[in-house]
Amino acid sequence: MKRKIGTALVAGAGISGIRAALDLAECGYGVTLIDRCPHIGGILSQLDYQFPTDRCGMCKMLPSIARDDSSQYCLRKGLFHENIEIRLSTEIISLEGEPGHFKVMLRGKPGLISHELCTGCGACTAVCPVEVPDEFNEGLSLRKAVYLPVPHAIPNTYVIDTDACTRCGACEEACPTAAIRLSQGERRQFHILVVDDELIVRDSLKEWLEDEGFSVDMAESGPEALEQLANCAYHLMLADIKMTGMDGVELLKKAKEALPDLCVVMMTAYATVETAVEAMKIGALDYLIKPFDPNALISMVLRIYQDFETGQGHLSDFGAVVLCGGAAYFNPAESKNPFGYGVLPNVITSLEFERILSGTGPCQGKLVRPSDGKAIRKAAWIQCVGSRDLQTDADFCSDVCCMYAIKECLLAREKAEGEIETTIFYMDMRTFGKSFQRYRDQAENEQGVRFERGRIHSVIQDKEDNEGNLILHYSDRGGALHDESYDMVILAVGQLPAAGMAELAEMLKIPLNPWGFAQSEPFSLTQTGREGILLGGSFSGLKDIGESVTQASAAALSASRVIHAAGGSQEIESDTSEYRDVSRDYPKILVLVCTCGNRLSASDPQEIVRELEKDPAVFHVEFLGQTCTAEGWDRLAGLAEKYKPNRILIAACLSYIYARKLRELARQIGLNPALTEAVSYHQSASNPRGSGNLLSLLRMGIARLRHADPSPVLSVPVCQEALVVGGGIAGMTAALAVADHGFQVYLIEQAEVLGGNLRWLQKTIEGYEIKTLLDDTRMKVEKHPRIQVHIRTRVIASYGQVGSFFTTVQDEEGLTHTLEHGVTVLATGGTEAAATSYGYGTSSLVVTQKELEQKLAEKSLDPKKLAAVVMIQCVGSREEPRNYCSRVCCASALKHALYLKSQNPDMAIYVLYRDMMSYGFAETYFTQARKAGVIFIQYEVKEKPRVKISDQSVYVTVFDPILGSELEIESDLLVLATGIVPALPEYIVTTFGASVDRDGFFQEAESKWRPVDSLKEGVFGCGIAHSPRSAAESVISAEAAAQRALRILSYKQLPGGKFTAKVRHSLCSLCERCIAACPYGARVIDTDSEKIQVNPVMCQGCGSCAAVCPNSASFLEGYSIRQMLEVVDAAFA
Amino acid sequence: MAKTAQIDVKAQDIPGSLRGFLRSVLESGDIRAILVPLHLPMKNTVMPALVSDPERLKDADPLAPAFPMNTAKVVSRLTHKPSGGKIAAVLRPCEIRAFVELVKLKQGKTDEIVIIGADCPGAYGNRDYLRFVAENGTESTMKFYRDSLSGKDSEKLSSACKSCEFPVPEGADLLIGLLGSDTEKQVMIQALTPKGEELFGKLGLSESAEPPGRKAAVESLIARRKAYRDKMFAETAQSVDSIGKLTAYLADCVNCYNCRVACPVCYCKECVFVTDVFDHDPSQYLKWAERKGAVKMPADTLFYHITRLAHMSTACVGCGQCSNACPNDIRLAELFRTVAYRTQKAFDYEAGRSLEEAPPLSVFREAEFAEIEGIK
Repeated sequence: MKRKIGTALVAGAGISGIRAALDLAECGYGVTLIDRCPHIGGILSQLDYQFPTDRCGMCKMLPSIARDDSSQYCLRKGLFHENIEIRLSTEIISLEGEPGHFKVMLRGKPGLISHELCTGCGACTAVCPVEVPDEFNEGLSLRKAVYLPVPHAIPNTYVIDTDACTRCGACEEACPTAAIRLSQGERRQFHILVVDDELIVRDSLKEWLEDEGFSVDMAESGPEALEQLANCAYHLMLADIKMTGMDGVELLKKAKEALPDLCVVMMTAYATVETAVEAMKIGALDYLIKPFDPNALISMVLRIYQDFETGQGHLSDFGAVVLCGGAAYFNPAESKNPFGYGVLPNVITSLEFERILSGTGPCQGKLVRPSDGKAIRKAAWIQCVGSRDLQTDADFCSDVCCMYAIKECLLAREKAEGEIETTIFYMDMRTFGKSFQRYRDQAENEQGVRFERGRIHSVIQDKEDNEGNLILHYSDRGGALHDESYDMVILAVGQLPAAGMAELAEMLKIPLNPWGFAQSEPFSLTQTGREGILLGGSFSGLKDIGESVTQASAAALSASRVIHAAGGSQEIESDTSEYRDVSRDYPKILVLVCTCGNRLSASDPQEIVRELEKDPAVFHVEFLGQTCTAEGWDRLAGLAEKYKPNRILIAACLSYIYARKLRELARQIGLNPALTEAVSYHQSASNPRGSGNLLSLLRMGIARLRHADPSPVLSVPVCQEALVVGGGIAGMTAALAVADHGFQVYLIEQAEVLGGNLRWLQKTIEGYEIKTLLDDTRMKVEKHPRIQVHIRTRVIASYGQVGSFFTTVQDEEGLTHTLEHGVTVLATGGTEAAATSYGYGTSSLVVTQKELEQKLAEKSLDPKKLAAVVMIQCVGSREEPRNYCSRVCCASALKHALYLKSQNPDMAIYVLYRDMMSYGFAETYFTQARKAGVIFIQYEVKEKPRVKISDQSVYVTVFDPILGSELEIESDLLVLATGIVPALPEYIVTTFGASVDRDGFFQEAESKWRPVDSLKEGVFGCGIAHSPRSAAESVISAEAAAQRALRILSYKQLPGGKFTAKVRHSLCSLCERCIAACPYGARVIDTDSEKIQVNPVMCQGCGSCAAVCPNSASFLEGYSIRQMLEVVDAAFA
Repeated sequence: MAKTAQIDVKAQDIPGSLRGFLRSVLESGDIRAILVPLHLPMKNTVMPALVSDPERLKDADPLAPAFPMNTAKVVSRLTHKPSGGKIAAVLRPCEIRAFVELVKLKQGKTDEIVIIGADCPGAYGNRDYLRFVAENGTESTMKFYRDSLSGKDSEKLSSACKSCEFPVPEGADLLIGLLGSDTEKQVMIQALTPKGEELFGKLGLSESAEPPGRKAAVESLIARRKAYRDKMFAETAQSVDSIGKLTAYLADCVNCYNCRVACPVCYCKECVFVTDVFDHDPSQYLKWAERKGAVKMPADTLFYHITRLAHMSTACVGCGQCSNACPNDIRLAELFRTVAYRTQKAFDYEAGRSLEEAPPLSVFREAEFAEIEGIK
């Protein structure tokens, strides 16, 4: 493990928060990862499968180098990392200071259940009398007030929902380990003064608050209240504003004069809210509106009480803050058209449907309606609920709904084994991500998902039957009206800003966009207006996993830069412990069994001792009470000191807690930590604890220990320099990001100047000048002392592996030289695809979008002279062989259409499109263009427009679905959007050991979880070479790639994992099967020595090589076949 | 169309004319030695020998129904590193197929070898052959050939051969065709690969058409073999369809590991069953004995056979050498073929079919065996 000076705060522990935290932690920074929820994982804890693989795979995000610093199991279950402190149910209260030196106040909710003591047995839940809707299942099922936030977490300890809990104390009594400490008694110490001139108000408040266990006094006037305040110490005063005599505001002033720290909440009628707001300015904490909602009142008082209990929180220092708060989801019940949601039981949201699909959901994964248990056989998805809807002030696209709707259709079809009709009602299918278009086509053509372009008018109960079926009333693409019956309607709900966004933004002084999401700086998706505070994931608008993860890594990079600039230098903590050499000693195992408060039956210990001591390797067996407590642990450590065993086995309820402690203990007694082991014997309903079970668990542990091999973790040396291929915006950004951390970078560009596509682009759709970005970046690159730019140079060949690549480059004169570098970033970019259709090349009246941009820039085209312009989108793209969306063309068309309209409002502009891909907040430009009078005509790929060209005009014929007939448009200019093709020569990719996808773009290791890595460690891809993207999107991908590269560069010696594959050469027949089986390319045959060699860093310990090797010449350290056979034997004994 | 020629058989002496043919191969100038079954001078038994002196070919007998070992392993030892010259090897179809598997496992190379294969009428078990030779003397091979070409498999043919549907050496470079020819008069020589054609060109053979009856003769033989095979599959599957029955099937095993030594595709330098993995602690045996009341010694017998099935069944060519090598007459060939047939079918793979087909364990397909994987 290594630690750098410098720490970061990551707020939000969803997928992007986890990514940002891991990225920073892997570089050696200390990270505090917080979430206001009691669990990590964010929205993904509720989603089992993700598009476009329809699988999970989150674990692929776990560290691939220095793997032992982190947990290596299902990431949805939990995460441990040496450098990450996870604090749940925790929020930011305040932030002060400068970038690099922020002081942040964090406050956690008081934990009523001790995580150390809770064994997750569930006795509390069994006795809890309270039932409330379970948010994990989107309210489709009920849970108790004491509950597991997610059913699959590790460690899975119970929490108490303090709002729902009645403090009855039943759980406290039931808890076998005394982990629950309700503070019922302590609440009585919290004194509340209720001041109101109406008796009925006073009485009811007193009753409600006393029910909650608080001490309540009453006063009927201001002066009386002041008198009582003088006599008794109150923690909270609830004061009515409108009272005769001294009013509430005056009372507040006087009370605050005498008791400045007193908490005061004003009570007001709706009409005097403004007065209440004024009161807050002079010291009132909050206000309540009459008539009271008792629940709101109680939860406010509870909040104040909790704040009182936890004090002011903890003040910590952080160099940078990454905000990964995610997004919230639209509630259709609040919409102007709720489509029956909340009224008709079989209208549900997409999130609710995800829970129905889930095995941990309310229907145990069966595809049935929760309302009546009837199998779902005909389901409709309604898109854009809460998105692209001006009536709900949602002039944005939520980016992910089209794709998750397709995914839900496919999952439903799989679950129903095809016995289901699935229809998606949509406006535009926004399949703009890499591989998404093919995913959609496959769903439509091979899986039978029906895509219906249309608008839903309403959803009503089907009167014809009594089974709860629904009638969808909709208009199709041509405007014709239809009624169709469905047994389930799923609303694809869009994004909302995360709860509390406005308050957080105000506190942190960061700007919001018009829809309340965090606003980023021009050309950056991660920079807020405030340096050192970064945006990760969906906090600035909903994103799919791949983009969230990319943005999170980019945010981590920017955070790291700030910390580095503020002096966060590297300081490696090397493990210099000397261990006893026990390799030649016969195993001497000390077995320690935690009795967990004497809950093993009395006869067990003797039987277990008798059985285990038959094994000559078992030296001593001892039973101890509660080793999880400090006292218990001391006793345990004492035994280890006393007996000096050469192996230690501990059996306890939550073995993973012991991993770290055991390592410390081992160091204490000079024993290699690899010779210690903890086994988990966990009591649950499905696994009742018994001596037989415990015995076999212990035997398995003994078997593992007997053959444990304490050989040291291998490492490979790192050349701490980077090669970046391609000098466009992505390459320059990546080079700067790495060089700013003090590492040498070689930037290779084949053109004469740096800049790539930025050299012809003018402005973004938002109106930002591209030239500013180009000049600024180019200047920084050219002046950077750690960047060596090689222009007019190309890569010839490379060999090597992570940490040490040798790459030969050649300049224009043919001179070659070889560079050594530890990592490679491929940023070779791409270009506009060549146009070959619609008469392109036969007339100057047909141009591409790029040419239009250039002509407008050099003013060779006068918008005033154009009467009509036609733009055709998706020219040669989104159909085979170029079946992908290029993302930027719709925005370009909108940008140019709006510009032309601004120059010549009388110009007629027709945009012929298939699906407008104005995703995210670019949707607003689509709206503006329609408002400006641009005509959008949708065409189908099988009915493409036809073009006829004369000397003066281009005649475009297209079928208009709304008119239901063909139109012939006479125009002065035809603009073709041809999309993007990569400029990534395959030989370059393969020479570095990476690969290209079927469209010639960089093939990432995994599109969602490792979006900029290649499967070959140490090679990264970004920018357009990776996939079509805008300048800002290229920047984040480059920053993400740089961050991933820095993980490696920050080591001089890159450590592999403890569980790494090795070869016993004397047994090896050199059949090379293991080389074919290794998915990470970690194995090569050295033909000189005739040996198979394993790169210990690239090896991920998956064991594929060991599985294909027939005689175990190839084996996985820590899982040797001998050991495993004995473990299996013990398990079945 | 493959190059085809006929060589004349004089005085109905097929082995003699084949010896002449092999001599012409060795004298073609390109081939430094031929690996061929040879009657050993000291005893009338047939073993593979690497022959460089054309005179020594007088003892060659590629058609003898002797199959003392699967020569693929020998060929892999002769080819896995450069030898400095080209050799030819006369192999049975199952030897060729085993060699193909070994090449895929990097245990041999094809660059310096020309493979000559003859239509295979099968062979006897080792002990049966020795008895047969003792009874029939020098006429043994001719007698066997006449009988088998008459369209009837000898009863003494090994079960593996009776159930073998690969009598034609399709993987050979040069084919010696007997089926469908009037072997009293002529034998067919056919080049199946460019390498075979090159050698064919050097032998000064005159091209002619393939005998018209060949196709039908091949089909009829294969049909007969398949019928036997399917019956054998059914019987074997039925006799090993539970752990109890399988244990009984293998009950006579003494852990001599002869079957493993005889297996041409069991290619490990050192078998895992003789490494420390199975060198259990004495306390382990005691534990087992106590747990079960009694443990058979040596232990791990069933485990050994199941492991070999797991390791080898995708590469098994059904040559039957395992049965041949078993001192206690366990019907291993039947068991291995039955299991291998199903395993290979599951991967759409056929051992020895082609060098281009990667062995199943070297291929990753994301979507396969979903029902077994249990992922969704």
